[in-house]
Amino acid sequence: MKFKFIVSLLCILTLVMVGNSYVNAGDLDRFSGVKGTLRIAGGTAHIPVMKEAAKRIMGMNSNIKITIAGGGSGVGIKQVGEGLVDIGNSGRKATDDETGRYGLKMFKFAIDGIAIVINPKNPVVKMNKNQIMDIFSGKLNKWKDLGWKDRGINIYTRDASSGTRKVFWKKALNKGEISKAANFAKSHGAMKAAISVDPYGIGYISVGYLDNTVAPVSLNGVSPTLDTVRKGDYKIARGLYMNTKGEPTALTRLFIDYILSKEGQKIVAEKGFIGVR
Amino acid sequence: MKSSLEKFAEKGFLLSAILSASITIFIFSFMFLFSMPLFKGGQIVQFFRLEWNPYDGKFGILTMMVGTGVIASFALFIATPFGIGCSALISVFSQKGLGKFLRKVVEFMTGIPTVVYSFVAIFLLVPLIRDIFEKGTGMCVLSASIMLALLILPTIVLFISDAFNSVPKSYIHAADALGASPVQKLIHIIVPSAWKGIISGLVLAAGRAVGDTLISLMIAGNALQIPRGLSDSARTLTSHIALIIASDYESPEFKAIFVCGLILFAFTTLIVLILRLLGYFEILRER
Amino acid sequence: MNRFTEYGITFFIWISGIILIGAIGVLLSFLVYKGIPSLNLSLIFGETRPLDALLLRKEVVDGLFPAIAGTLLLILTSIIWAIPIGVASGIYLSEYCNLRWKRFFNLLLDILAGIPSILVGLFGFTVSIFLHKHLSEHIYPCFLISSLALACLVLPYIIRTTEQSLSNLPFSIKTTALSLGASKLQNILFILIPYNLSSIISGIILAIGRCAEDTAVIMLTGVVAMAGIPSSLLSQYEALPFYIFYISSDYNSQEELMKGFGASIILLAICVFLFTLSNILKKKVAIRFATH
Repeated sequence: MKFKFIVSLLCILTLVMVGNSYVNAGDLDRFSGVKGTLRIAGGTAHIPVMKEAAKRIMGMNSNIKITIAGGGSGVGIKQVGEGLVDIGNSGRKATDDETGRYGLKMFKFAIDGIAIVINPKNPVVKMNKNQIMDIFSGKLNKWKDLGWKDRGINIYTRDASSGTRKVFWKKALNKGEISKAANFAKSHGAMKAAISVDPYGIGYISVGYLDNTVAPVSLNGVSPTLDTVRKGDYKIARGLYMNTKGEPTALTRLFIDYILSKEGQKIVAEKGFIGVR
Repeated sequence: MKSSLEKFAEKGFLLSAILSASITIFIFSFMFLFSMPLFKGGQIVQFFRLEWNPYDGKFGILTMMVGTGVIASFALFIATPFGIGCSALISVFSQKGLGKFLRKVVEFMTGIPTVVYSFVAIFLLVPLIRDIFEKGTGMCVLSASIMLALLILPTIVLFISDAFNSVPKSYIHAADALGASPVQKLIHIIVPSAWKGIISGLVLAAGRAVGDTLISLMIAGNALQIPRGLSDSARTLTSHIALIIASDYESPEFKAIFVCGLILFAFTTLIVLILRLLGYFEILRER
Repeated sequence: MNRFTEYGITFFIWISGIILIGAIGVLLSFLVYKGIPSLNLSLIFGETRPLDALLLRKEVVDGLFPAIAGTLLLILTSIIWAIPIGVASGIYLSEYCNLRWKRFFNLLLDILAGIPSILVGLFGFTVSIFLHKHLSEHIYPCFLISSLALACLVLPYIIRTTEQSLSNLPFSIKTTALSLGASKLQNILFILIPYNLSSIISGIILAIGRCAEDTAVIMLTGVVAMAGIPSSLLSQYEALPFYIFYISSDYNSQEELMKGFGASIILLAICVFLFTLSNILKKKVAIRFATH
């Protein structure tokens, strides 16, 4: 199996690409003549980038099939480690224990900030760290105490598998408690959708997911934007990683190279993240 | 004088029956096997605690059991009166008019996928509840119970109205001859005769209410707390299984799911045994 | 009891019927109102040309086609497992089985019928992990596991309908062929089953409807948010109910949300059609017996 892939890889490298009106020839060339299935799972923040890349690759070569599942960073690492998927996405670095146990190789492909978000109807767009910690722990539970209506603060959080949650908990909450009354959102999209329809909600999503259906909160005076994350002013940031078990080969390698290529990094930027090149 | 083909066919049919029945046994065994390591160390007790926090080594699913209990009970509480009322309308009060149409509506309801109920509820019911209560997110016990009640209502209605219909016609004629009004007929003749069928329908619906996953997963909020009021978010055993399924299958976290599974399996068996006692299955098979 | 109580009860009974009809009416009209606008070819095929998609020349990435295809293929495969085993079991239970064993089998089958679907899904997931560890590295939650799990879920429906309809046949039908010298097997295969075909098929259609709408089982055994058309039995796939579930919380724009409504209408239409068909067949059988 591996031999066949290596042979076809060598053949590809000597072929001239047939242009496709869909995207620029070039970074996608590497996929021509390749066959196979690629299975990706894990972090939900990564999904828009993965989906766009998959769309372009599959549009250009219908012999390639890419399946994408979510589940959160924990799931990504677990499944790639157990050999259930080829690429496991995570929004946090794999722990030493995980890397050792599974023999993981990490590929950082984007930098991302985690923004605290509220509903656009909510005027409380400035908060400091203590307030955030008190809100999420449940100590501060009325919007009245922050200068708005007398309504309860509806906290939204992610489940234990989420890398976003882990980084948020570590960096924004200083590993503080999250209230038991918190509502669970299954993924990034779910969190955003929930906050966009709940005027009294508060949650956290990747800066790349921000749009006008939710409003970002500035933390200690710093607004979560691509600039502030890039410059390092906004401290709640993390890398987005693709993980593989051992060295990636064949189609997996091609996909990772594509994401890290000029075109792939353009997709990363389009989806609201910061590239690594 | 059975030919070998006959014998072969009989064996084949027998094998299929054994295969089908053994699926139940397999399911139970897997649940049991995977949670057995916990029975040994006496660790099983840790699951019947309140706190669920895998990072701290806490695996209490008691909260989820309460969640299931509260949501299912409240759904039954809502559905029972409506169910009996609708059945009475279909079988006693309006057999040719609105009742006939109602029966068609209820039969139609059996075809509505659960996911469609939940989907519509998220955008129709949840904001409504949120505005009425003026607190919480709208994803709470009340929303889940209302939709669950709607889901189990067809089971209750079809069952009870069939039970009402199987009351011996002689009783009904006798009551009519004595000049009883529909309400008197219902309360004094029909309901007492059909009580077994009524209870069976309710028990069956209870089983469905406890076993449903999607409605509580999508509408109940899934917070890890014991709900203190109708507008509180809660989590059921079924949605807990769905939410946790992605975890490490060596850890106690994952094994906790099998304990949830065992509890649900035990509950189902209990329901089936109660129904047997009530003679439900005999009624069904006679039909 | 006095007049007022009677009026009160009567009022309540009529009101409950009206409320129920009203509730369903509201639900359906909301669904249709939101979903109809998005019911067009691009909902299903995205940006790919329909012909290309149908001939499997190109993958559809932002349409419902893979999900619809996944659901249809899933139904097909599940009933391929479920029909032979289900009908055969039903035949055994009604024609060959003695009473003691019958009670035992029926107990197990009734429990199977009552098991929450998520448990069946959990069972499927566990089996696949078990096989992954002990049999082959290539096995993981996939199309095959899902269809087997769904088959387990709907088996009770098929068995029950087959068994009941065979048992309820009039004595004359059951014994005529036998008295003419046919063997038991010939009787079953050539007389009883064909006579009962409508009932058995109505049970099968019920099973199909259940396969189409189930979400809990497939969630745990291999359905994912994006996978295209399943290329093999061991691959992951998409399905319509899962799409609706996923979109309900993961929509990125109003457009996507509207797709969810459209998908709901399609799924509702499929399921209602199947359940109605099953009911019609059942009633046809009842009429036939009534005229005997």
